[in-house]
Amino acid sequence: MADEQYVIEIEGLVNTVGAGAILHRDLSLQVRRDEVMSLVGGSGSGKTQLLRVILGLKRPAAGRVRVFGVSWEDPSAKKVRDARRRMGMLFQNGALYSALTVYDNIAFPLRERGGLAEQQIRAIVNTKLAQVELEPRHGRLLPANLSGGMVKRVSLARALALSPDLLILDEPTAGLDPDRSEGFVRLIKRLREDHRFAVVMVTHDLDTLFELTDRVAVLADQHIIACDTLAAVRGLDHKFAQNFFGGDRGRRALQHG
Amino acid sequence: MPSSEAALEIRTLARDPVPVRVVASGGWTFSGIKERHEQLAHRLAELEKQPAGCVAWDLSGVTELDDAGAVWLAHALRNAQRVEASPRHREILNQVCQGLLVAGERERFDPLSGVVWTGRTAAHVVEHLRDGVILLGQLALDLAGMLRRPREFPLREFSAGIYRAGITALPVTMLVGFLVGIVLTYLSALQLKRYGADLLVINIVGVGVLRELGPMLASIIAAGRSGSAITAQLGVMRVTEEVEALSVMGISVTSRLVLPRVLALAVALPLVAFCTDIAALAGAMLVSRFTLGITPGAFLQALPQAVEVVNFWIGIGKSVAFGFAVAFVACHYGLRVLPNTDSLAVGVTRSVVAAITGVIILDAVFAIMLRNVG
Repeated sequence: MADEQYVIEIEGLVNTVGAGAILHRDLSLQVRRDEVMSLVGGSGSGKTQLLRVILGLKRPAAGRVRVFGVSWEDPSAKKVRDARRRMGMLFQNGALYSALTVYDNIAFPLRERGGLAEQQIRAIVNTKLAQVELEPRHGRLLPANLSGGMVKRVSLARALALSPDLLILDEPTAGLDPDRSEGFVRLIKRLREDHRFAVVMVTHDLDTLFELTDRVAVLADQHIIACDTLAAVRGLDHKFAQNFFGGDRGRRALQHG
Repeated sequence: MPSSEAALEIRTLARDPVPVRVVASGGWTFSGIKERHEQLAHRLAELEKQPAGCVAWDLSGVTELDDAGAVWLAHALRNAQRVEASPRHREILNQVCQGLLVAGERERFDPLSGVVWTGRTAAHVVEHLRDGVILLGQLALDLAGMLRRPREFPLREFSAGIYRAGITALPVTMLVGFLVGIVLTYLSALQLKRYGADLLVINIVGVGVLRELGPMLASIIAAGRSGSAITAQLGVMRVTEEVEALSVMGISVTSRLVLPRVLALAVALPLVAFCTDIAALAGAMLVSRFTLGITPGAFLQALPQAVEVVNFWIGIGKSVAFGFAVAFVACHYGLRVLPNTDSLAVGVTRSVVAAITGVIILDAVFAIMLRNVG
């Protein structure tokens, strides 16, 4: 199945916002299978917009975007659907269906996928709940009754429901206390040991970045200025990278890391 | 390249202590199973029939295993005498087994459920009424406070409300009024012509429109347009915690959100009703001209004599009350929305239904109270 070397390939992407203002210009990025890639960049540099393009929620003005070797504009609906089902997304605010219980939220993609009996779906949902360190009784709660950390974990469980080959995380640890963030990092690490999937992550949390990342892509000046290991990116001669990694917080996180 | 589809092979070794060997291979994943769904289900069902302890599994040929595959296998593996699998696959299977063990919840039949439901519904209705009374009381207090400190009146929200509920509603309400005026006059004229009481059409249409139809049409359209909008807006503000943010800033939710909306509709609706009256009478004049030969001039001259002016004022007064009621009901339902999308949908629906019903009930009350007037 997953024979391709890259799960995401972007070439020469031009992305506009609003009335044609250019956000990204000539942007290229490749994400390998089995790697954790972090996307960093200043506020307003268009990280979330880039994720939206990768997810196929936004059509780029120009350029080639392929996920699992499939373009979102591929005429074959089946190919596009199959590619979509191979990725899971953790939205920044969870994006849980507020009218459904936790259990039904996680079961939703499984039911839509079809081919599984309700008893099998229950087993998978309970497995997913256990994987994100929640208990079966939490399945009965509604999203409105969850704490911030639980919302993150439930939406992670939902993103993992179809055993994706690519997991996209938008600010996974934003709004979590340090202890929970650490737990989240451990969780992702452990899950990746069981199921090898690629991760693309947008984060401002340096500790998370240092703990998880294989490669860092730096988004600045409308394109990816560097995409390399942490050590290489840290030494980058660019204002943003210097401030991001060389600032007080960056150095502190490095010492711990 | 190994096969990406799940495969299952069953071998029978007669002399072996464990006579049935099952070899699973390929990709036991969502996509790997999908195509061969029925075939696999059939084979696994066959295996279920084997007596316990005579099946050995070999999973070493499985290239990929995810939850979907694991769920299929875990169920069948319960009876297995021996399982060969890589440690990683074993781990996944174990996890899913734990999931299978968690019993599903069954809804038990409760013979008293009818009683419970009745009690709950009654309690819910009482709570609804209580909240309504509290909101009304709070509104009265806020209004009194505003009268003492008129500078704090949320003038901007108030004028925006009048614009939204009043001016933008005019085209549709006037069109509806005009058409109703035409239909009403035409039907009355057909009947009255037979008795030669042509001029009575002015009485019937005049009283009907000014006293009843104008305010009713205006408020029903307001309930659908403005009422639903108010409930949806306050409901979304509840969902996004904007209402809570106001309270935290020490700003009264009723005086900032409810009061301007209620007052705006109470002021705007009589104006809309007035315009609806005019449109309906215009329709009536048009039909009278062509079916009964009453010229618009004659119509207008006869109107004050046929219809006492108090009927007009009753209509205007009623629309003040209707406007208040529609906006009040809409705010009440909007503030009760729970932070989920379902509750929002239910809230908006109920708000519109309750507002229209409320207006009709109020109208009946007015009809009885004012039966000797006009």
